[in-house]
Amino acid sequence: MSRARPVRPEDVRRVRPGHGANCSSIGSVVDTLFATAAVGAALFAAVMAALETEPVTVVGGDPPEDDEEDAL
Amino acid sequence: MILRLERWGAWVKLADPAAIVALDRDAVRALGVDGGRAWDGPARPGGPSRPVEVHLAVTARCGAGCTGCYLDARPDGLEPPFEALVTALDAMRDAGVFTVAFGGGEPTTRDDLDALADAARARGLTPVLTTSGLGLSSARAERLRAFAQVNVSYDGPDGAYASVRGFDGAAAAEAAIARLSAAGVRVGVNVVLTRASFPRLRETMARARALGAVEAQLLRYKPAGRAASLDYLAQRLTSAQACSLGPTLRALTDAFCQSGDFHVRIDCALVPFLSADPDLAGDPARLSRWGVFGCEAAAALSAVTAEGRVAPCSFGPASAARPADLARGCRDDAELRRWRRPAGASAEPCASCSLALVCKGGCKVVASFVSGALGPDPECPRVVARRGGGAA
Repeated sequence: MSRARPVRPEDVRRVRPGHGANCSSIGSVVDTLFATAAVGAALFAAVMAALETEPVTVVGGDPPEDDEEDAL
Repeated sequence: MILRLERWGAWVKLADPAAIVALDRDAVRALGVDGGRAWDGPARPGGPSRPVEVHLAVTARCGAGCTGCYLDARPDGLEPPFEALVTALDAMRDAGVFTVAFGGGEPTTRDDLDALADAARARGLTPVLTTSGLGLSSARAERLRAFAQVNVSYDGPDGAYASVRGFDGAAAAEAAIARLSAAGVRVGVNVVLTRASFPRLRETMARARALGAVEAQLLRYKPAGRAASLDYLAQRLTSAQACSLGPTLRALTDAFCQSGDFHVRIDCALVPFLSADPDLAGDPARLSRWGVFGCEAAAALSAVTAEGRVAPCSFGPASAARPADLARGCRDDAELRRWRRPAGASAEPCASCSLALVCKGGCKVVASFVSGALGPDPECPRVVARRGGGAA
């Protein structure tokens, strides 16, 4: 799969860092919320770089038919 | 990277840095992927059509006897056969799930745990694990290297652990953290927040970090399993503690996260407490952009019980749905649809809350136990203020 162009930062809606390893509730890294702009920018830059370099494997097929819950 | 199409774009799981990223359609096209039929029609704002993370109870067996065990796990609990769990992993692969979190019960009671991790990897899933760490030898720790991360339940030293679990397993948990770290396993800690453990957070995290942990996940105490009793009301955070979560997280970040080698994570059920923090409540886009998830029960998150049923989350009731139904987001199950809906979205105080789209009404497990409905969360500071009371 060849890339058409670089991904634009404004087309990235959400970044959830890390794996998380809790088996009971879904977790979110929060130190990014309080980090300096430089730290946040560095992480975002690493994400953008990975988007340009990691090979793409599509999984899961098409999403189920649209319904009201998809608009949450 | 692994990419899963959504009607609005795609979810992407990156390997390095480890991250899950939501991309608009334009970004997905830039990667050389076209959504085809999935993108017929306009790209409405939306969430995950299927879970990105599934919690798999690989056993209901555990001898620890924690007083607040959310599963009511016991030494003679059900242990599903290997083949049944592999079938569940097949279903997760087919649904485009990214992460499978192995839990229980105590997962390390299974001798085939490393084989299950390999089976998950072979299906493109990222396996992670939660363990009490009790009795974990160095040799066993080395057999857990197939997991991307292992979290040890650790509520703190010097009585903090015992205050949450009813027995003092802190030393055993600390040994497990050290052994996992020495074995080269990425290790984190799960810290359950009760009114007794909350004031000890700073020393708990300092101790965990010193032992080699790279992450602390803070968990709200939830009234499920053996914790679904009146004792919950005495264990839960006070209103003042709930309101202080934002400043507490800020202080912990300042103390432990500046070098970038240690991270703090909160669970979905703690998100409503952030509404009391003016800085965070005033910038909901920051939470959304950094992927903070509130209640994602039966949405971004699902659980598969030891009996092989899908539950909205590990604390919620098992539904009639089977893992094979995950590929359709369990759309046909009325109970899971009910859990998926944001609680109280159209009524105050959620309707005017800046964090409503992230929080989604708070923890439905707490709400259903305390108030008999799926929400809004009765312990959210905004809900408490509106009702003129407090969780003292």
